[in-house]
Amino acid sequence: MIFSKKLLAILALLPGFVFANEGTVQLDRAPERSDIASLQNGAKLFVNHCLNCHSASSMRYNRLRDLGLTEDQIKNNLLFSGEKVGDMMTVALRPADAKSWFGAVPPDLTVIARAKSSGAGSGADYLYTYLRTFYKDDARPTGWNNLVVPNVAMPHVLWDLQGVRTIKMVEEADPHEKGKTMHRFDGFEQVTPGTMTPQQFDEQVADLVAYMSWMAEPTRDLRKRLGAIVLLFLALFAFLAWRLNESYWKDVK
Amino acid sequence: MSDEKQVDTGRRGLLVATCAAGGVVGISTAGALVSTLQPSERAKAAGAPVEVDISDVKPGEMKVVEWRGKPVWILRRTPEMMASLPKNDSLVADPQSDKSFQIDMPEYAKNEYRARPEHKEVLVTVGICSHLGCSPSSRFTEGPQPNLPDDWHGGFLCPCHGSTFDLAGRVFKNKPAPANLDVPPYMYLSDNKMIIGKDEKGEA
Amino acid sequence: MGAFKETKLPTDAPAADKALAWVDDRFPLTKLWNDQWGKYYAPKNFNIWYLFGSLAMLVLVLQIVTGIFLTMHYKPDATLAFGSVEYIMKEVPWGWLVRYMHSTGASAFFIVVYLHMTRGLIYGSYRKPRELIWLFGFAIFLCLMAEAFFGYLLPWGQMSYWGAQVIVNLFGAIPVIGNDLSLWIRGDYVVSDATLNRFFAFHVIAIPLVLLGLVAAHLIALHEVGSSNPDGIEVKDNLGPDGHGIDAIPSHPYYTTKDLFGVSVFLLIYSAIVFFAPEMGGYFLEYNNFLPADSLKTPSHIAPTWYFTPFYSVLRATTSDFMWVVMAGLAAYVVFIWLRSRLSQKTKIAITVLAVVLEIGMLPQVLDAKFWGVVLFGSAVVILALLPWIDHSPVRSIRYRPGWHKAVYGVFFVAFLVLGYLGTQLPTAAFTLLAQACTLLYFSFFLLMPWWSTWGRFKPVPDRVTFTPH
Repeated sequence: MIFSKKLLAILALLPGFVFANEGTVQLDRAPERSDIASLQNGAKLFVNHCLNCHSASSMRYNRLRDLGLTEDQIKNNLLFSGEKVGDMMTVALRPADAKSWFGAVPPDLTVIARAKSSGAGSGADYLYTYLRTFYKDDARPTGWNNLVVPNVAMPHVLWDLQGVRTIKMVEEADPHEKGKTMHRFDGFEQVTPGTMTPQQFDEQVADLVAYMSWMAEPTRDLRKRLGAIVLLFLALFAFLAWRLNESYWKDVK
Repeated sequence: MSDEKQVDTGRRGLLVATCAAGGVVGISTAGALVSTLQPSERAKAAGAPVEVDISDVKPGEMKVVEWRGKPVWILRRTPEMMASLPKNDSLVADPQSDKSFQIDMPEYAKNEYRARPEHKEVLVTVGICSHLGCSPSSRFTEGPQPNLPDDWHGGFLCPCHGSTFDLAGRVFKNKPAPANLDVPPYMYLSDNKMIIGKDEKGEA
Repeated sequence: MGAFKETKLPTDAPAADKALAWVDDRFPLTKLWNDQWGKYYAPKNFNIWYLFGSLAMLVLVLQIVTGIFLTMHYKPDATLAFGSVEYIMKEVPWGWLVRYMHSTGASAFFIVVYLHMTRGLIYGSYRKPRELIWLFGFAIFLCLMAEAFFGYLLPWGQMSYWGAQVIVNLFGAIPVIGNDLSLWIRGDYVVSDATLNRFFAFHVIAIPLVLLGLVAAHLIALHEVGSSNPDGIEVKDNLGPDGHGIDAIPSHPYYTTKDLFGVSVFLLIYSAIVFFAPEMGGYFLEYNNFLPADSLKTPSHIAPTWYFTPFYSVLRATTSDFMWVVMAGLAAYVVFIWLRSRLSQKTKIAITVLAVVLEIGMLPQVLDAKFWGVVLFGSAVVILALLPWIDHSPVRSIRYRPGWHKAVYGVFFVAFLVLGYLGTQLPTAAFTLLAQACTLLYFSFFLLMPWWSTWGRFKPVPDRVTFTPH
């Protein structure tokens, strides 16, 4: 008996130990967006801004029907260069060209929201923070840099919406090493305004990130709904199996 | 031991209930697994209707397009070809297309030309022999030829086992093939554009 | 054997009975059922620790069945593999469910098997005459680790690729033949399409067949001597009037229903994970594996899947500094054997010669810490197989051992779990020291067992099992 108890105690404490010590930037929480309107808006933003360079080659256009769009709506609003509604969201940009123009091949985005999860936050948190922390940096070939991915090859695609910002860095004493100083991020500075206010921009990015989370696992909601039914049923089954077992073991002396 | 001889109704009830519940678990799992064999989204998308521009198909010519992995023939018949069709009525096995092969004969094609009335000269048929699935070759020239009867008015000959079909896709009598060539659902989007795999009833 | 004897049932007997009699005359169906389960008499005092063997069989079946359905859609080609998994997740009807069942099943398998092995440890299930059952089980464990390793490459994600690259390169640590061996295993200069295809063949058919054979052998060996129990006594030593152990009961219906209940609870937990937490915080489905394999970019933090981390920790703990500790430990152990073991003079001399060879090999100029890390990594697994011969306790079960033995087992389990946790983390100076300490504890548990397992005041072992009626 004492064994199982010891083991259980240790196992119960384990989750407390399980934190990752990665992520130098504190990630902002991506707002919860599960309503259809936000996801449809996110789909529109995704197709208009991301699919020029990125592919989502495991995502079929007609899957957007799950977001309440008809095939005609998809065809008229979201298909641009001769794709059919049954096609995958591929991109014409060739990897070799991308490499020479940007220095890196834009990754496929189908499951990026799952890939970027970590101890520091969910994939949605990562993407939400990433898309909102671009800043002007003339030292970079694209003229843009990013707080979450330093020296990123991607330009600030949404700059017209957010406007142009620079970062303020402040020098202060290094708490870990005496006598040394370090640069600390001290906020953004708006240089030119975008077409949206910061709140509006955050909302749009929230929709976009919600869409990308959905695209990474479109069956997530179904999975949970089904799970509730399955667990209820299995609980009943376990109860019956328990009583059945007792009905036989009462004979064992 | 005598207790065991008596039926323990409580135990039996539990046994039935547990087996029933277990059966539900088993059958639903099996059901989910087995349904993974159903056509996937990729298969369904590949099987989507096909739009065809037939402006370049001149009388007497045939165009072949692919629908659901199979060849679909679009033959624009000449007036002579159309006139020859009634002559085959007594020679074909199923002149009224009462029997279907794999696709139920659409209502609009149940006429002597086996085509939509708005363009009755255009034959749309799946070019797969109803015998064992080979694709017949065109034999539009009239008159006696090798493997064809002397009173041949034009049609198709299947190279695998010799079945012959007329210019409306109807199989001749006493041939291995049991049924006429399929007519898929199709409709005209305009005079020169048709869509195969879709009609007023929806997508096939 | 003798002449064919046909069973004749009365003409009004049910058709099903006649059909069964027909089969039984030609194939030992009823006999097989009775010998293997129906009338296989097992001790009546099995507790929850005795569930995990049956559970392991259930998970094996689950993995095979879900695996078959995955193989219908998966493409074992480096350019297509990653996409084919997403195809299964998004486009195959219910594909997402089959995938999650298989990924959760893999982790469930290891949890169940580790618990199953724990039962063996605490109740002395591996003691004579059950050593062979333990050895077959050890072989199953090795096959399971190989199966998981080969299977993990198949999704062709970043963790798949780099995990395989690192483990195959471990073989490169073997002196002289190492590099050629790695090349032969990979089929290429780096992990590539060639590697993927052969790992697919191993994972889908080769190892499953071996596993099924080993499981059969494991069960046959068990049924030959009969099951042990939490009290560690032999129930067959005390026969009842019916010829079976007085403390034994037929597996059917008693363990059919008990296992069914255990299975139902397992399915509840398993389904909760499948439907609500299939990623399990990145431990069951690692986040980095949602990035397609990139041979030019290693992720910043590679760790093996959680079930390999204890042994991985031992590998990483073996630094060149630690080698001095290992050398000192080996020397001390040999001295201890001379002073305190009852082995023959010849054996002691043989051990000393071997130890001298190893000590020379451990010198930094001879074989480096990387090689010895691999050796310790392998030894940490293989040492389990030796248990039947190093456990000299006069009693089998922990229940009748001195109370402080429980603390020894406790320390061992904690060390194993700590090693596991450390394996998921990036190595720091403090973590490395802790891993080294736990490695020493881990090996000492086994290497010193011939002595400590005999110390202390043992409790009298009962001749009837401890059982409280339901």
